[in-house]
Formats: sequence, C-alpha cells, structure tokens
Amino acid sequence: MADQSASAGRTEADRLRQGSAFMEILKRPEIGAFSGMLAIMIFLWFIAGDVVYNPLGIKNNLAIISQLGIIAIGACLLMIAGEFDLSIGSMIGFAGMSMAMMLKWGLPFGLGPATPFLAFSLTLAMTLGIGFLIGQIVVRSGLSSFIVTLAFLFALRGLTEVSFRLLNEGSTQISGLPDFKETSTVAYIFGGETFKWLFSLLYEIGWNVNRRGNQWVTGLDARVAWWMVIALLAYIALAKTQIGNWIYATGDNKEAARANGVPVRKVKISLFMFTAFTATIFAAAQVFDTNTADAAKGNLKELEAIAAAVVGGTVMTGGFGSIVGVIFGAVIFGLVQNSVFYIPWIDGSFYRVFVGTVLLIAAFANENIRKRITGGI
Amino acid sequence: MAGALIHIENLVKKFGPFTALNGVSLDVYPGEVHALLGDNGAGKSTLIKTLSGVHQPTSGQIYVEGKPVHFRSPRDASAAGIGTVYQDLALNQLMSVTRNFFMGREMTTGPRPFGVMQMREMDRIAHDEMVKIGIDISDVSQAVGTMSGGQRQTLAIARAIYFGAKVLILDEPTSALGQKQQMEVLKTIKRVRARGDIAIIFITHNEIHSKLVADRFTFLSLGEVIGSGTKADLEGEDIRRLMAGGAEMADLEQELATI
Ligand SMILES: Nc1ncnc2c1ncn2[C@@H]1O[C@H](COP(=O)(O)OP(=O)(O)OP(=O)(O)O)[C@@H](O)[C@H]1O
Ligand SMILES: [Mg+2]
Repeated sequence: MADQSASAGRTEADRLRQGSAFMEILKRPEIGAFSGMLAIMIFLWFIAGDVVYNPLGIKNNLAIISQLGIIAIGACLLMIAGEFDLSIGSMIGFAGMSMAMMLKWGLPFGLGPATPFLAFSLTLAMTLGIGFLIGQIVVRSGLSSFIVTLAFLFALRGLTEVSFRLLNEGSTQISGLPDFKETSTVAYIFGGETFKWLFSLLYEIGWNVNRRGNQWVTGLDARVAWWMVIALLAYIALAKTQIGNWIYATGDNKEAARANGVPVRKVKISLFMFTAFTATIFAAAQVFDTNTADAAKGNLKELEAIAAAVVGGTVMTGGFGSIVGVIFGAVIFGLVQNSVFYIPWIDGSFYRVFVGTVLLIAAFANENIRKRITGGI
Repeated sequence: MAGALIHIENLVKKFGPFTALNGVSLDVYPGEVHALLGDNGAGKSTLIKTLSGVHQPTSGQIYVEGKPVHFRSPRDASAAGIGTVYQDLALNQLMSVTRNFFMGREMTTGPRPFGVMQMREMDRIAHDEMVKIGIDISDVSQAVGTMSGGQRQTLAIARAIYFGAKVLILDEPTSALGQKQQMEVLKTIKRVRARGDIAIIFITHNEIHSKLVADRFTFLSLGEVIGSGTKADLEGEDIRRLMAGGAEMADLEQELATI
C-alpha cells in the first residue's frame, strides 16, 4: 500500500515535466538544421576565411541561397500538406522560356510587343493554371502526387523544348535580350538590386570598400528580398493563421481533417498553385537578372528544394515542419554549393555527395522526432 | 417517444443483397446514457453511421427533436447537433491539443482563411472545456500523439460538446484502453450526462461498463432489436444473455466444454 500513498495528490498534469527555456529551444524541430548551418558557417570560415563573408561573398552566397530558398518554401508547405511537387524544376524552365519568348518575339497571337509586366503576368497565369491542373488531378484521381508531378516533370520540360524550337528559330536558348531593368520597374523588382542603402552604409563605415577605395558591392540581388518577403508571409500563414492549421491538418490525417470540416482538396490545390508561383518567381528573377533563358533551366531544382525542406525538419509523410527550418536548410545547401568557389582544390561534385549525406541524416532525425511525438507509431 | 431527442423508426439499411439493419427503432433522451449492445456484426456501427450521416437509410425515418431529418453527409448531421466520436477520434497526432480542438473551426480575426488565429483565447477554451469534463491538461500546446488514449477520448468529446452536439455518439470508446483509462472515460461520460441536456449513445462490448453508466439499453442481433429497456427493467443475467445475441450462457458453457 506504500506506493498508493505516494501517488496520492498527483494529477496527470504533474507528469509532464516543464523544462527550462533553454531546454525548450533544444526540443524545437529546427534545432538540427540550425546546428548544421552553424557548423557549415564555422567550417567555411576556417577553411576559406574572409572571402566567404566579405561583402561580395555575402552577396554571392545570398544569391544562391535565396534562389533555392524561394522554391524550398513552396516545396515545404506542400510537403507539410502531405504532397510532393516534382515539377518545380520543369516549371522554372517553362516559365523562363515563356517570359523570354514573349520579351523577344512579342505577345502570342501577334498582339504586339510584351512589356516585362505583361510577360510576367501572362506567364504567372499559365503556371498557376498548370498548378491548379496538377492539384485537381491529384485530389480527384487519388493518385500519388509523386507520379502525377513526375509526369509533369517530363511533359513540361518537353513542352518547353518543343516550344523553343518551334518559335525561337530552332534554338533552345535566348540570350542578349535588352536590359529591361534599366527601363522597367517590374523588371527591376525581379532582376535588379535591393538593400542598396545597407551597402552604402557599409561603405560609409569603411567595410564595403574595394582596392581602389570606391564602394565595392552596390546591393543584393532582388531575389533576396523576394525570399525574405515570401518566407515572412509563409511563416505567418503557417504558424499563425487558419490556413496554416488547415495545412498541418491536411498533411497529418486527411480523414480527420475532413471530418472536422477542413477543405482538404482546396488546401492541396492551392499549395500546388503556390509551388508553381514560387517556381515562376525563381524564373522571373533569373530572366530579368541575366536577360537570358534556356530550356534546361531549373533542372533538378525540385529535388534540391525537397532536400532543403527535409533538412529543415519537414517530415516526408506530412503534418510536420516549419518555415524557420526550411530557411536554415536553404542556407546550408546554398553555402555548400558556393563553397567550390571558396575552396578551389575541392571537386564541385562533392556538393552532391554532401547533399546526399545530409539528406539521409536529416531524414533519420525527422523520423525520430515524429516517432517521439506519435509515441513510436 | 415524448421528449425524445432522437427517435428512430423502423430503420432498414441494406448493402446490396445484405441486410445490415432490419427495421430498428430506438429512442434517445437528453440527460441519459443509452447503451447500444450486441455481438460483432450485429449492426451497431451501421446504425450510428446512418444516424451520423455516413450512410443513408434504405427505408425508415430518423427524427431529431420531433422533426424528420434526412442527412446526406456527416456535415448535415453535425449541423443538426449529432456529434460522433469515431473509433479513430478524428484527431491529428502531430498537432497540438488546441489546434486539434479547433481544427476546421478556428477562431480568427481577419478574412478567412488568412485570418490570424486567436491562439490565447483558443488555448484557454480548449483547456477549460476539457477541465469541465474531467481532465486538466497542463500544456495545451503538447502534441496529441503524446497524450494517453483516455485523454484523447476526452478531447474528442469536449470538442464535440463545445461545437454544439446535443447527441453524443461514442463507438466503443473504452475498447482500446487500459483499466484506469477506461474508468476515466466512464467518468467523463457521467459528467457529460450530469449536464442534463445532452443525450449519449454508448456502444460497448463490456457488460460492466454499460451497467455502470447507462440508463437505458438496446440490444441488437443480426440487424434487429432483440430487447430494450431501462436499467430497472433489466436483470443482470438478462443483459449478458442479450449481449451474446440471445444465446443462453448455459448452452455456451456446454458447447465450450465439448470442444
Ligand atoms: N459498407 C458496408 N458494406 C457491406 N457490408 C457492410 C458494410 N458495413 C457493414 N457491413 C456489414 O454489416 C454488418 C454489421 O456491421 P457493423 O459494423 O454495424 O457491426 P457492429 O455491430 O458494429 O460490430 P462490431 O461489434 O464488431 O463493431 C456486418 O456483417 C458487416 O459486414
Ligand atoms: Mg462496430
């Protein structure tokens, strides 16, 4: 009877130990990605030193990171809702082709020359339409999104190449477009620069100075601002709003969500459209930055985006993940991808070895977290 | 049938050539626990699925508060105040208690579906509603997957009540639980009953559980009602015999002995 008196006065609420604030942070699902990011940053500092973190290094790093970061956010939200989109890379190629073609050859059906705004809007309308179509097929057929979007990976890439050859005098590339950034605000918003004030400020305080004593770097690529804005909005939407709750509910247990009135189908279709949106922003930033397009653009990007999402703590089976995590994931992969420039003696293909290894580790870690939460099921 | 919250008349449900329910009638009263008992395959789940809009009856009529109703979907049924706590509870394991409680019915400010959730208010309500029927979850941001089976039951029940259920349907709520948690669920049922305005339909295979909480009993066998009555009407021996589909215990014992 001794043990009985010991349990007297205890309630269920007492059994959950309340950890300190520090312990709470350690339990967060993003902690793995965050530590990984720190490790890479410190490692690069030791190996390559200042070139990684001087103004030019920062600009170049963020260019790569934000590019991947934009599509990784799309992939992450969709994965949390329990679906994949393998068509992101082909969508990038398609959107880039569409915009460049309009800019070079004018609007379809001979409707006159295209402004950057029209080229972007018409392309976005098309990509959103394709995203909608993919979503409809997935929710109506019940087929795995893996297969449906794999079909679109091939079909869209093929369509892009065919359109190029038919309409672009047989070439699958466009180069030498006029520099629309100079004349169009829309083009500048995608392909121009941001944070110029910051880099002026850094020049004032004597850091951002080149060898000749002038201002060195003028600003960051516009896509960095796109990444930040999209990440912020996605964070708020996922963590704080009703649609965020619906996204988690849809990916966790679709039937439970449906039984409670969550519009599961609409959630999924919207997210397929959102990944198409992120792919289009990716493409617009590229086209207006470089004034070129290529049918092969975006190749394998869908897998990098998924990898960044997984490394950021997104669970493959859905229902769990965060935007903060996927930001860290994008930073990790962006930095490592760039490290070939900083460590000349390293073979660039080690990047892929690294991605593969990190991906596997992250997938194990995520599965552990998921098991801990669901009690091992 | 006067005062009955739900009145079911001659309900027939056929799945193709198979008759799952063959003319079942039933009355459920507010403030009462109505135990629905019967052998495996007797038709209990089919009956409550028809009642909660999952199946449409082949013939027969359901009345809610005296008015005939035709449910075409679970949504219709829940709008009419029929709250079903399914065997899988319709909970999401990876999500927090609060997020589950308000799933699909989030309290927000701003335009749907981008309105910002009033997390503090939602946390408070989820916590308070669960305390009302008996459990004090210290941390409503914990994932449901970390809660015990009994706590999950309570969450699902509290949610159904908070969102306006007048009839609570519990399909084998104790079947997957350990002894102590079974008792917790029974206590929860008692507390809901004590409110007086909610009718509870309680499906179980456990004779003791049904006798502990139920006011009224209906026994199904092979899709038909083979006995019903209030607690006072029925003797203990009767219940056991009827639960086994009308077979005599003595016969069963004899049969077992010959194997
Ligand atoms: N959708 C369906 N299609 C065809 N037959 C069905 C369907 N649902 C149930 N049945 C049949 O109807 C009969 C009654 O099933 P039901 O699930 O209602 O039994 P139950 O009383 O809930 O049993 P248990 O105690 O095992 O849960 C069973 O023979 C079952 O096979
Ligand atoms: Mg059943």
